[in-house]
Amino acid sequence: MHPRTPTMITLMAFTAAVWMGPAGVAGAQPAPTAHLIPQALQIEQKETLEQISILAQREAPVGPAASQALKLLKRHIAREQEFILPPLTLLPLLADGKVTPDMAWALAMTDRVKAEREQIFEEHTEITEALNRLIVAGIQADDNDAKEFAESAAADSLSDMEILEPTLLLIGDTLRAKLPAGH
Amino acid sequence: MTLRQAPVAFTGLAIAIFATLLGVMPTSALAGDPVAGKTVFQSSCSLCHSVQPGQNKIGPTLFGVVGRKTGAVAGYSYSPANAAANMTWDDATLNKYLESPRTVIPGTKMTYAGVKDPAKRADLISYLDTLK
Repeated sequence: MHPRTPTMITLMAFTAAVWMGPAGVAGAQPAPTAHLIPQALQIEQKETLEQISILAQREAPVGPAASQALKLLKRHIAREQEFILPPLTLLPLLADGKVTPDMAWALAMTDRVKAEREQIFEEHTEITEALNRLIVAGIQADDNDAKEFAESAAADSLSDMEILEPTLLLIGDTLRAKLPAGH
Repeated sequence: MTLRQAPVAFTGLAIAIFATLLGVMPTSALAGDPVAGKTVFQSSCSLCHSVQPGQNKIGPTLFGVVGRKTGAVAGYSYSPANAAANMTWDDATLNKYLESPRTVIPGTKMTYAGVKDPAKRADLISYLDTLK
């Protein structure tokens, strides 16, 4: 569940520019910097939101069920963009054995993922409930798009559990082990 | 305790005894309906589970689940928690697990909150009992 619209990218770039100032140097008060997520996941998230938005416009029973799923997916995706997915942009460098002090920003995010694992799991259970309702609606309406979306999105939840979260924890551990002291 | 309070206390005791009996009775004795259970399965489980032998989806196939050990379906990649749970799926363990999966097996990757209604759970387990 990983979409990001061009508007959001523009907005984040703008926000980052405002934080950094015209010379790209932070002011007297250190400010947080917005971080992008891997491009592949930007595309995936965008497609996910487009598909469920189309389903949400359909008649009952699919439309209302999809609307509920859309609401939960948007909330989850916002959190993914905020702190779950950005550290993944470091993977190519980490795979090459490169760890530099300017990567330290990711530690706060990986620590937050570790601290909020149960909450993230809870979000996935709520999404699963919504997807259960969507697939039932899809069966009732003989809507293959709804059924296929529900199954695909449920598989994505599993991917988050099996791959994404452990990867983030490993990124955090790697950074903590290899960054110079003080980060 | 006054006489006026006694009937209330007796009622409470009766409820406690009944609840205790329910707790130790096998779920099948609660007369679940497998036909209704199939409906529960379709609305709550079929997104992730097949009932066909050997057909794993997001979760393992539930064909033959009753009587099976946890983490035992060939070809399904279990979470470490499920793989190490060392339980046998019978009516009692299924009843507890399906009520709150993450409570019974902390660390399970099944992102499902559980079937909270005991009657629906009994129906579902009756249906799972038929998958042989």
